[in-house]
Amino acid sequence: MEKSVLRDPGFYVMVAIGLAAMLILPVVLDMFTIMQITQYVVLAVFALSLGYIWGFGGILSFGQAAFFGLGAYTFAVAAINIGETTIPLILAFAIPCLFGAALGYFIFYGRLSDVYLGVVTMVVTLLFWKLANHTAGPEYAIGAARLGGFNGIPSIPVMNIPGEPEAMLDPVQMFQVFMGFLIVVYIVLRLLIASDFGRVSIGIRENETRASLLGYDVRRHKLVVFAIGSGIAGLAGAMWATYQAFIDPNAFSMEMSAKALVWVMAGGVGTLVGPIIGVILLQWLTLKLGTMELLNSLAVLGAIMMVLVLALPKGIVPTLRKLIVDGWTLARRKKTGGKADE
Amino acid sequence: MSDWTNILETRGLTMQFGGVTAVDEVDFTLRDGELRCLLGPNGAGKSTFFKCLTGQLIPTRGTVTFKGQDMTGWNTHDIVNLGIGIKTQMPNVFDGVSVYENVRLSSRRKHMAAQAKELAEKTLERCGITHLAKREVGYLSHGQRQLVELAMVLAAEPALILLDEPAAGMTGEERDRLARLVLESARSAAVIVVEHDMVFIRQIAKFVTVFNRGAIFREAMIDEIMADREVQEIYLGKQANAASA
Repeated sequence: MEKSVLRDPGFYVMVAIGLAAMLILPVVLDMFTIMQITQYVVLAVFALSLGYIWGFGGILSFGQAAFFGLGAYTFAVAAINIGETTIPLILAFAIPCLFGAALGYFIFYGRLSDVYLGVVTMVVTLLFWKLANHTAGPEYAIGAARLGGFNGIPSIPVMNIPGEPEAMLDPVQMFQVFMGFLIVVYIVLRLLIASDFGRVSIGIRENETRASLLGYDVRRHKLVVFAIGSGIAGLAGAMWATYQAFIDPNAFSMEMSAKALVWVMAGGVGTLVGPIIGVILLQWLTLKLGTMELLNSLAVLGAIMMVLVLALPKGIVPTLRKLIVDGWTLARRKKTGGKADE
Repeated sequence: MSDWTNILETRGLTMQFGGVTAVDEVDFTLRDGELRCLLGPNGAGKSTFFKCLTGQLIPTRGTVTFKGQDMTGWNTHDIVNLGIGIKTQMPNVFDGVSVYENVRLSSRRKHMAAQAKELAEKTLERCGITHLAKREVGYLSHGQRQLVELAMVLAAEPALILLDEPAAGMTGEERDRLARLVLESARSAAVIVVEHDMVFIRQIAKFVTVFNRGAIFREAMIDEIMADREVQEIYLGKQANAASA
């Protein structure tokens, strides 16, 4: 946990798997499947945003969709007005990040406890959802972009190569670029978590009182973590908007926030791989259950969730990791005749 | 800042919770480099007093002055950064990470990474917990956690050390080491120790302040305090009442 990222083989394995998926999948899979997987990639970035602030900053947000939706709308409005997608993508990170910082200022400097943090983030999401739903008239437009209320914003530009608005990405290229985003977000978060800043965050997660008794400004620290998570959620929102070429107020829905929580919880809080695996597993299951039409997919998912929480309360990845480490220790102990250290 | 003789002074310090006055008009003075023991029955307001000193509670009335600087109402981290370290009554440690990391997070506050590492290792050794360095703190015994927290306090190199029941849960051997550590630390810092363990108090105490019902009840040398009938009564009276109840 505390050793340098650069000396952790797991880190390289994960990046290698990511790069391999990015390069090999388009060769072996058909385009429809690739487009399906692109969806997982976008949602994995979204899940990472919550996995980071929850698992490594101790901030349990029930409103991660607020930033996801804000990023999506920012991207849509900016892209329609500007006519290209590079600056909108940057804005889709920056604006939710700033909004997260502003909201975080009131939450953390106002010393709201965890429960109220949950309530405030949830209410902010609902406010956005309500607001976005009430922008149906033609008077609700930002520049050339009509917000469209519950009908959403159609015809959002597809991502283009920076500086060349005409060079739009095809679905396979989009998948590869998004995989690139996911890998970069993963690497940046891993480095951040291993940095001194990240170690203090973990300290704050473990014991806020002690962190402040060591002289760390807990409020400022949590604000920065929250803002970074908000920016990443916004980026995921932008990816979602350009992937679908469409966005509606459901980006702000409670379901989006809840799903993020479920993915992170199922995959494992306190890991970065966990949320990604949570997304892939649960989204794939939802899809399969949806096509079977045998049972209500939400009911089955709920049941699976309950089983996961009861059987693997720490999540899939931490449980697997423990099994492997225990197995390894046991094997070594047998080899050395019961003299394995630790 | 420079014009001070007492490292810590409180004037009229009062902390009320609703109708309860936990700390009542306390005028407390500590000289630089002094080692002071704070005694008093449970509920006398010792821990609340500590919390007022470190900004974990904002006093209802009165002032706290550290090195001539009035810091009443400051944020905890700002107070701590002036040079105050506290070991709380129930250990406040980072359970999910290793002992080493706990201590390093403390030493890293004021030092660059390389010095922080060195200081953390040195402090672990001083506290006799080097063999636990890699263990996760959440799995340690209460006494060991106390030592980890003490190491965190010492690694910050504070000018004033507050220790709230540091010997609780310790084995005899651990307690003796703790006493040596406290005496050793008192050579470079002012120290206030709250403790009930009389064997421990005997090992370290010189001048003692006795709290009762939120106020200072007596201040005298330890032998005088031990011989004081009224002090015995506030301690024993409580126990006698509890036994008859």
